Amino acid sequence: MNPLDKPPVQLGLALLTVLVLPLVLKSGILATEILIFAMVVAACNLLLGYTGLLSFGQGIFFGIGTYAAGICLTRWSIPVPVVLGGAALLGALTATLVGWLSIRRQGVYFVMLTLAFSQLFYFVAYTFSDLTGGDNGLLGVPRPSVGGTALNTPWAYYTFVAVCFVTVFALLVMVTQSTFGRTLIAIRENEGRAAAIGFPTRLFKIEAFAISGAVTAFSGALHAMLIGVAPLSNIEYHTSELILIMTIIGGSSSLFGSVLGAGFYLLLADALSTVWPRWLLLLGLVLVTVALFLQRGLWGLVERGYDLIFRRGRSIDSETPAKEH
Amino acid sequence: MTDIALQTHGLGVKYGTFHALADVDLRIRRNSVHSIIGPNGAGKTTLFHALTGRVRASSGRIELDGRDITNTSDDDRVRLGIARSFQVTSLFPNLSLRENLRLAAQGRTPWQALAPWRRAESNREALATADEVIGRLALGAVANRLAGELSHGQQRRLEVGMAMASRPRVILLDEPTSGMGIDDIEAMKQLIRDLGRDHTVLFIEHNMGIVMNISDMVTVMRLGRKLVEGTPAEVREDPEVQRAYLGNMITGDIA
Repeated sequence: MNPLDKPPVQLGLALLTVLVLPLVLKSGILATEILIFAMVVAACNLLLGYTGLLSFGQGIFFGIGTYAAGICLTRWSIPVPVVLGGAALLGALTATLVGWLSIRRQGVYFVMLTLAFSQLFYFVAYTFSDLTGGDNGLLGVPRPSVGGTALNTPWAYYTFVAVCFVTVFALLVMVTQSTFGRTLIAIRENEGRAAAIGFPTRLFKIEAFAISGAVTAFSGALHAMLIGVAPLSNIEYHTSELILIMTIIGGSSSLFGSVLGAGFYLLLADALSTVWPRWLLLLGLVLVTVALFLQRGLWGLVERGYDLIFRRGRSIDSETPAKEH
Repeated sequence: MTDIALQTHGLGVKYGTFHALADVDLRIRRNSVHSIIGPNGAGKTTLFHALTGRVRASSGRIELDGRDITNTSDDDRVRLGIARSFQVTSLFPNLSLRENLRLAAQGRTPWQALAPWRRAESNREALATADEVIGRLALGAVANRLAGELSHGQQRRLEVGMAMASRPRVILLDEPTSGMGIDDIEAMKQLIRDLGRDHTVLFIEHNMGIVMNISDMVTVMRLGRKLVEGTPAEVREDPEVQRAYLGNMITGDIA
């Protein structure tokens, strides 16, 4: 194992990210958005990288969290911690349902089912506009306040999200290191064998979905508070696609890869969109490059760089590109 | 407890209208080595699938230690003490040999593994089992290698080890020597004989040398039915067996 994949190192890198972002970025909104999507992408990675499930349903959970925050905070004055907890719970329940129905099929059919659910939930949100605001979304979602002061400046809210991010990231590291996480890897490697040695593999996949859904919805709620709106676009199929693209760019072999993926995408989008309105075209090229030459994503590149600098000559056998997936 | 570990009564499996297995009565004695032989298509692997619960029996009954397990799911049967190895090697290739065995040992208490806060290392029993099996397989030197990087013979032994790690009472081995070289076969033979001392071993094998050498009982199958059953000597002498399947192969005792 590459030393960079060790849990304390991963956690250290996450902490470092939280500290470095304010130093290099002018916009607190962008920095906060990076942390929010880093959580979402890490949750997607739990399914894609660890369990081997390519889910197009992540936008559902993100949207559910967004609406949970939007509805609770604009209609009633429910305390923010309760809203965040409730959003996570609702996300977990929705993900359990979607997961429970989708994992009945494998491969392409599984992917298509998650895609279908994604469309389904989008139209549900679109249709029940009394609750969700339909096309307009829900406006005027307030920021949380800590100790009586509202976190109205971007960097104040960034601090709030940063604490959430580090906590969630640490929890996800714990999950991947647990006997549960290691069983997920076994299921990804060889599901038939995992079942033959006694693991009820479906239950493990559903639980992975639930955890992923909880984190994603939690982040969705934070996002609504960040932009002050609960927009319809958060539950759109496009969001699911965005999350998957970030996950793949970042690399699915480690959790910090997800932070890289989210950061890289959002920073690139921010830079490119100011120079050229058709910037998505360039992003397409980036994705093609990753798919063709960097199958372990940005994280794979980091690992290779580390090996080149610190472990030159030694343990060449740990560098086995044949095992890329 | 009875002396019979595993028993079937009139076991049958249908795929559509095709009877892959019909009217099979088996009585496997505790801590014995019992082999199943027969030509391709005789229903040997289907029998294993039915015994492990991978396919459901369409008729008949299966009993483990006198307890009816006909309708028990495959993972529940693992917990009750049935484990199997596969004819085609089925491992976790990108995980280390030790992790493969740790997972197999953890498979006995899978609900524990659903707790996302519990560290894998906290299950000392599973770790100890993994190390014990590594010792019995004589694979200590490669315990930290990835399973996918092991030689074919080592992978086949690990395949048997995966079944051993769930601490089963009954262990089903589907052609454990398939594709092996002579040296590896000898090691596998020792391993199966060693297993038979404290496990009930049921195994499918094409290598008659091994079958005649280490089996306590042999069941010959043909076209989904039981043809003959007896000690190796009895089966060897049986005229019907000689005519139907084995011919001269059966006289060769060399492994």
